[in-house]
Amino acid sequence: MKLTDEEKRMLDGASGQPVKMAMDIVVAIGEIYGAEKLIPIKTAHIAGLSLKSHGIAGMEWVEDIAKSGAKVCVPTTLNVIGVDRSRDLKMPPDWSTNQLRIEKAYECMGCYGSSTCVPYYMGFIPKFGESIAWAESSAVVFTNSVLGARDNREGGPTAMASGLTGRTPLYGLHLDENRKGDVLYKVTADLRDIADYGGLGTYVGKRVGTKIPVFSGISYPSTEALVYLGAALASSGGVAMFHVAGVTPEAPTVEAAFRGKKYDTIVITNREIEEGKQQLTSARDNKVDYVALGCPHYSLSQLEELARLLHGKKISKDVTMWVHTNVAIKAMAAQLGYVRAIEESGAIVTQDLCTILGNPEALGFKTLATNSGKMAFYAPGSNGFGVWFGEAKRCVDAAVTGFWK
Amino acid sequence: MSIVIKGRPISKGYAEGEALVCHQPIGFNFGVDLTDGRILEHGHELLNKSIKDKILIFPHGKGSTGGSYVVYQLAKCKSGPKAMINLTTETIIAVGAIMGGIPVVDSLEQNPLEVIKTGDYVKVDAVNGTVEVESK
Repeated sequence: MKLTDEEKRMLDGASGQPVKMAMDIVVAIGEIYGAEKLIPIKTAHIAGLSLKSHGIAGMEWVEDIAKSGAKVCVPTTLNVIGVDRSRDLKMPPDWSTNQLRIEKAYECMGCYGSSTCVPYYMGFIPKFGESIAWAESSAVVFTNSVLGARDNREGGPTAMASGLTGRTPLYGLHLDENRKGDVLYKVTADLRDIADYGGLGTYVGKRVGTKIPVFSGISYPSTEALVYLGAALASSGGVAMFHVAGVTPEAPTVEAAFRGKKYDTIVITNREIEEGKQQLTSARDNKVDYVALGCPHYSLSQLEELARLLHGKKISKDVTMWVHTNVAIKAMAAQLGYVRAIEESGAIVTQDLCTILGNPEALGFKTLATNSGKMAFYAPGSNGFGVWFGEAKRCVDAAVTGFWK
Repeated sequence: MSIVIKGRPISKGYAEGEALVCHQPIGFNFGVDLTDGRILEHGHELLNKSIKDKILIFPHGKGSTGGSYVVYQLAKCKSGPKAMINLTTETIIAVGAIMGGIPVVDSLEQNPLEVIKTGDYVKVDAVNGTVEVESK
């Protein structure tokens, strides 16, 4: 791999040990994937901050790096974590202490403690064609597909290494030729709710693996629908990018998405959407004791919708309901009265936190209802919950009655 | 009878042991129990089977990008595989394996999912990029 004189000096340790360590990671990945050179990145986003992912081993690893004086050299945001820093949700004390130590170590490196999986809702919006080094599978797929920025599926440590060096290897989705579609999914199904997009993403993600799916027949989707589609694709599969013909910027038409590449066509009817939704259902007991929405973090308009759904209702005393978002959206929603409207029902609007990265199982819940394909996919493994999956309205009904119908 | 297949070293090192062949992608974050290496994903072909101390052969990673730290933790807790063989290793697994010292090889000259069977004895040389397979 060709390195510039400055990059060679960084690799030799002239910019200090932390930069050398980070450069070692970036160069090793570049060598493995046959990158011809490194390229500058505009921003980085570090994920995997949950204590569940880092563990004590990972916590000590990142604290050592922070103590060695590592500082990021491009704007670097941090992903959602396992605690809400604004209120006491009765998490075990060890859990909260260690989780905050991880967050703090990254903040010491100069990262922004944004604690969100949707930094693009907070104003960190990569431009079309711009190379970035973001982790968080749902954010990788959103920035590539919807914004047209260029990003590989970075792991937490490679995103950090890119934040510290300002570089990433030139490979994968940074290269034009690797951004063409692979398979056409012709959608004839009715997509009425973001739960339908979760079903679609789960069905296709399982089958498409790490390839690039192209969708046709989806018109005027909301931004949130694309966020939830991408999150489901990236959970059940290893998808880093999709195209929606006539919607996403690199696919004005189906043919433009494939750019001459030969492709198979698969038709998606309501039956396939239902199959995807069924795969997300793992609960047997109709009694629900935990309802959680906001994975990825809820947007302002999703909170507004929820405030309307909960208007005049009370959550069952046997149910806890959490709605996850970040500090910026929560502040806006509070100013507009949505937070009060939601919390008057007994539900709680959390910040920083999400269910799968957090530890709500410590509070004894058994059965979750959610409208998030990503949360439904991970909660059995991460939290040990049985899961009911369906639209927000159905989740609200479950929260009010204590039963999934 | 044994055969030797050439591949690309991803995470350098050497290990040998019993093969566990999985035809589905594996998501490590939230997908593997750190204490005993059991796969936790609902509906996965390896659900409740352990990858601990195996030579784990699977197509590629998927899912959450926090997986690097989980691969590292599995190595530190000694609950992880002895080595991994992929069709194509993605960055998330590659960097976790390098941090944790788990040897990884990918891009073999023959499809490891077809050539290797669960229970075969496999020697992974992830310095020179060779995989030796002894059928059980």
